[in-house]
Amino acid sequence: MKQLPKEFYAAMEELQAVDFVLVDLTLYLDTHPEDYEAINQFNQFAKERRRLKKVVESMYGPLQQFGNSYSGYPWNWDDGPWPWQI
Amino acid sequence: MSTHRRVWYPYASPFDPCPPIKAKTYSTPPNLFLGFQPPNLEQFTPMQALRTGTLWKVFYDPWYSPYEAPREDDHS
Repeated sequence: MKQLPKEFYAAMEELQAVDFVLVDLTLYLDTHPEDYEAINQFNQFAKERRRLKKVVESMYGPLQQFGNSYSGYPWNWDDGPWPWQI
Repeated sequence: MSTHRRVWYPYASPFDPCPPIKAKTYSTPPNLFLGFQPPNLEQFTPMQALRTGTLWKVFYDPWYSPYEAPREDDHS
């Protein structure tokens, strides 16, 4: 099983933090559709997440399936380590 | 972060096998007192938000039990 590089864990934690912020903002914006600053913040974090996803996927491999992540060669979305194993 | 702790007094029957607990307390979360969330509330940093479980400082409630000393968290 390939070992993950050390900096993967920091990047993954950051990605999780950004994901959490996006989830909280989504729930907030569901009830506050006119909140301009929150929408700005949401878009900033969405853009940030795309960058972070590239960083994490360069070390880990595809995170999601069905076209949400590029695939490596050979087909590697089902290679270890799985999310609960990292 | 101030969780308002409320108390209630359960009925202690004379036939209780164990010594009665006279007063029981429960903590009320902040969102009860906020109603519709106002915009532009102060926020945690993403890393802190991941730890505390909420993005907005006002909603942070670690929900300590009465017997647990409320240790001073760095982000409360």
